Amino acid sequence: MKVLITCTVNGEEHSVLADPRDTLLDLLRERIGLTGTKEGCGNGNCGACTILVDGAPVTACLMLAQEAPHHDIITIEGISEHDKLHAIQRALIERGGTQCGFCTPGIVLSAKSLLDENPSPTPHEIRHAIAGNLCRCTGYDKIVEAIAVAAAEMRG
Amino acid sequence: MPPMAPKESDTLKVVGKRLPRVDGPARVTGGAIYAADLKLPGMVHAMTLRSPHAHARIHGIDTSRALALKGVLAVVTAADFPELPIGASIPMGETGYDMWMVAQINIARHKAFWVGQPVAAVAAVDPHIAEAALALIAVDYEPLPAASDLAAAMAADAPVLHDHVITKGLEPRPRTPSNICSRTVIARGNAAQAITDAPANAEIEVKIDTAHQGYLEPQAMVAQVDANGFATVWTSTQGQFTTELMIARMLGLSQSQLKVVPLEVGGAFGGKIAIHGEAVAVRLAQKCGRPVKLVLTREEVLQGGSGPAAGAQIDIAVAADGTGRLTAIKGTYRVDAGGLPGLSPSLLMQASAALYQCPNLELAGFDVVTNKPRTEAYRAPGGIQGAFAVEQAMDALCQRLQMDPLEFRKRNASITGSTMPIGTPFPAIGLTTILDRVGAHACWTDPLPEGRHPRGRGLALGYWRGTSMTSAAHITIAGDGRPMVTMGAVDISGVRSTMAQVVAEEFGLSIDDVHVHTGDSKSVGYSDAAAGSRVARTSTAALVEASRDALEQLRTRAAEKLQYARDDLDYAEGCFRVRPQGTTISLAELMQATLAEGAIVGRGVSTKLPLGVEIGAHVCDVEVDTDTGLVTVLRYTAFQDVGLALNPTAVEGQIAGSVVQGLGWALMEGFDYGTDGRLRNASLLDYRLPTALDVPPIECVIVETPVPNVPYGVRGVGEVPIVPPAAAIANAIARAIGVRVTHMPMTPERVLRALRESRPHGT
Amino acid sequence: MKEFAYVRPATLGEVIAAMQADGARALAGGTDLVPQLREGRRQAGHIVDLKGIPAFTGISAASNGGLVIGASTSATRVARHPTIAADYPSVAQSARLIGSLQVQNRASLGGNICNAAPSADSVPALICHHATVRIAGPDGEREELLEAFIRGPGRTSLQPGELLLSIILPPPSPRSAAHYLRFTPRREMDIAIAGAAAWIRLDENRAIDDARIVLASVGPVPIRATSAEQALRGERPTPALFEAAGQRAAGDAQPISDTRSSADYRRSLVAVLTARALAACCANLIGEPTRS
Repeated sequence: MKVLITCTVNGEEHSVLADPRDTLLDLLRERIGLTGTKEGCGNGNCGACTILVDGAPVTACLMLAQEAPHHDIITIEGISEHDKLHAIQRALIERGGTQCGFCTPGIVLSAKSLLDENPSPTPHEIRHAIAGNLCRCTGYDKIVEAIAVAAAEMRG
Repeated sequence: MPPMAPKESDTLKVVGKRLPRVDGPARVTGGAIYAADLKLPGMVHAMTLRSPHAHARIHGIDTSRALALKGVLAVVTAADFPELPIGASIPMGETGYDMWMVAQINIARHKAFWVGQPVAAVAAVDPHIAEAALALIAVDYEPLPAASDLAAAMAADAPVLHDHVITKGLEPRPRTPSNICSRTVIARGNAAQAITDAPANAEIEVKIDTAHQGYLEPQAMVAQVDANGFATVWTSTQGQFTTELMIARMLGLSQSQLKVVPLEVGGAFGGKIAIHGEAVAVRLAQKCGRPVKLVLTREEVLQGGSGPAAGAQIDIAVAADGTGRLTAIKGTYRVDAGGLPGLSPSLLMQASAALYQCPNLELAGFDVVTNKPRTEAYRAPGGIQGAFAVEQAMDALCQRLQMDPLEFRKRNASITGSTMPIGTPFPAIGLTTILDRVGAHACWTDPLPEGRHPRGRGLALGYWRGTSMTSAAHITIAGDGRPMVTMGAVDISGVRSTMAQVVAEEFGLSIDDVHVHTGDSKSVGYSDAAAGSRVARTSTAALVEASRDALEQLRTRAAEKLQYARDDLDYAEGCFRVRPQGTTISLAELMQATLAEGAIVGRGVSTKLPLGVEIGAHVCDVEVDTDTGLVTVLRYTAFQDVGLALNPTAVEGQIAGSVVQGLGWALMEGFDYGTDGRLRNASLLDYRLPTALDVPPIECVIVETPVPNVPYGVRGVGEVPIVPPAAAIANAIARAIGVRVTHMPMTPERVLRALRESRPHGT
Repeated sequence: MKEFAYVRPATLGEVIAAMQADGARALAGGTDLVPQLREGRRQAGHIVDLKGIPAFTGISAASNGGLVIGASTSATRVARHPTIAADYPSVAQSARLIGSLQVQNRASLGGNICNAAPSADSVPALICHHATVRIAGPDGEREELLEAFIRGPGRTSLQPGELLLSIILPPPSPRSAAHYLRFTPRREMDIAIAGAAAWIRLDENRAIDDARIVLASVGPVPIRATSAEQALRGERPTPALFEAAGQRAAGDAQPISDTRSSADYRRSLVAVLTARALAACCANLIGEPTRS
């Protein structure tokens, strides 16, 4: 028996029918149609489905869709403004911090959360901030470099 | 195709530059489309029923109750597919690909050979109904004793998996079936005698656990059959043509009845060459008339739904004379093929010995079936396993000789013209250049800094031959004069960007002027799967040919338009110019003026391009906590000959990523199978991929020895970096604590155990 | 997965009532419950979301000078709370070990306790501090020592319809320090193969007046290493003493072998982690150089 869920994602209100057993990840991808958030493992162990909930990075696969109405949700689709990429996104492209791209949306959100709170992170702090985001392609170096470059740019 | 001289590096304008990936914006915004993102009208969901038994006969399957469940639209079993004979194959490169094996990877027929092997599949209106339907399928299994590992499978009284498998390569030919599928020997000279006679020798026996490629995107596909019966399959694959051939063969379709559209791939590394569900999805779509989406869960990927990388047991003995010149390498390699035969250990064996000039070789390899998932390729398949054995043996030999490990490698290094293990001479290689660079680098000359725990430095080499096979491409010219490239090879490594650089270079344009995409299996010339480090090299060759073909056609048109002879025209940077008169016509003007004359289509294909073998040398510093066995990698430097770096940022990214995969298998990744054949760590919690905190920065040092007679002299890049890390770390550990760890992954528990077993009782 | 009803009550009374329903399960962070439901390891007919109720969230001073932590408080909030960071740093430190940052932003302290995994990262340090738990149910509220509350793997003393309301920490003792160390093969996102929390209190002469050692992942419940504690009481802290205590703690452990580790290795780790945790407590108190 489907349930109606009304929630705000990237500042926009959505009202959709969902299965009561849906996770927030299912809601975003299957019901609302925002497929930028990826499923890598389904049980909180890879970080590919990282989104921001009330400003904090969480893995959407560990939340229920029915919790969505009570939170402010930002996904990768809400990071760039119109055609203007966020500094983190630009740096990842520039520095080679994205290869297959599957981990990239989650990394962007974890990195954004880090830089919003800590504008001058050390390389270790950067690695700690993305330790919950597995990447299999890059070996992490160029991701860390890109986040440092973005931080410098954001500091002005 | 006639050989083309590579261009001089310092005249290159686009190739060789650190340009950002052209597909970057889609990836960082979530706009890149992967197969699981697809939604088609009327789409239904498929789910797979998998064997709970490691070894069982299947006497029958009753699907009636599942079919009767409301919301279930179709159910398939092996009965829905023609039975393929043993030996059925599809073309691929020079060896073809075993379809009897692929068919069973996708759906079991008379027997199940591993836990997780597909037995049936359903399509239903939603995934929960599909899941409920699986529980209603009744399979009549007769469980059989299972051979759960190499030792069990090779024992005299082992349960035999396949009655038709008689060990090949034995004289006289055996009469009874075996789990040992073949014996392969590579030999020259008399290694046994040389070892007996040698003043210095070393031996090692190692065990390598099965590991997984660890791509972050599970297999995903959507199949649709239209009203005329034409099937379209969108999927995450390394090869749309190979996938098409496999589906067609499995279903008995003609190739003109289907096409495969490759979408973005979220990592593959060899694990997405064989199909895992595509033919099943098509069959379901045929039966229910709706598009069918099939996405594997992570647990399915790990628990039998995909092909992991082979575990092995390898024994190596090496010997040298008093001056440190290698005289013999003797090895026995036992490779775990998983539940179906056909894995050749030959490349593994060759790779492990190739970099050494050595007069006496005796390498014997056995591929053995066990009741575990059929193993498939993982970057340089077999390379890291072979190096873990041979490079440790060489390092132990250096310790016996009290010889510097770098000096030893220099003294024995293969050079251009050296005889490879299979008897052919090495083409141009730069191993000695790499070794010289190692010796001059701070990672080798800096003293090892002291720390709280013992530290050591390790060196290991890696070799991978790679392959060429076939890549096709074509270039059309848009109305604004810009090249539009359709590649045949799937982009799993960033090639669409590097190929844009190549075409831009050929046309004298900027990378932003070139559009590149990969075609589906009906819109571009046949290309083999993206594998074997072949795509950048062979696509470069194909696109150089296509560019020159297109430019020739454009020259003809320009000459006609300008009313001059073809030879009176010069071309540069998007413009034809009459010499010496000066009239010009840009490509844009030319296209606009000749729209009615049909398309410009420049075509290129590369087949059997001369090999650009991959060679690397890695140096690492480790610290070992001798109370817990925890190994910390403090510093890591990877030296590699790439021929010519089409894009240094992309090359470094490939190397670093591949190294970290090697570090993962070296220290923390390994499948833990129970005796019932069930994988006990089938999740990303307990199958441990390295996080950003587990690995140091990887410094990449690029060496360039171009491959002669190949456009731009490019070598493959992505495979060899995974080969040395486990050995480099093992050698560093041995130098730190005086003990060799011989079981990979070298988990803290195993390191501590090795340390304790080496100490006399009571200390 | 069977369908379930989801409710998000607004008051404690409504929660208690909702928890009486058939197959009712409390939902705080969901980081244990959601994957358990999806994998079929747990069933639920009703999911009762606690997060709308102030009684479950928030950290406040207790009347006796200790601290009351609402059961639904996230690990991140626990880790960052100034009072916890200052007065109970081992609790903050333990909260930072749960899962990954993403998991910590959701996982609740109460959930980590009630899930009652032998490897639960938040529990050993809390037991060292003699934490109590406050439980609410249809018959009213009750308090219990955390150490007694955990009964077995996945089992607590909660009766059907009862909920964990809050965790209460007594005021910290002067001249005391606690530290939790766990061992994982990766630096992040791992489950402890073994863990040891140590708490020591010194007297005016800098001898150990009292000690508590709590071990994780080496028994069906967190284990008080009582013979190690006995070896410490009355003694002056030295590396040799800590090593001896570690050996005793290894003897107190009851490890099993599983896919993550052999029992023997777990025992070895207990000895090492105990000694190192004690050394870290000492460094906190006296500032002496320690092995770590």
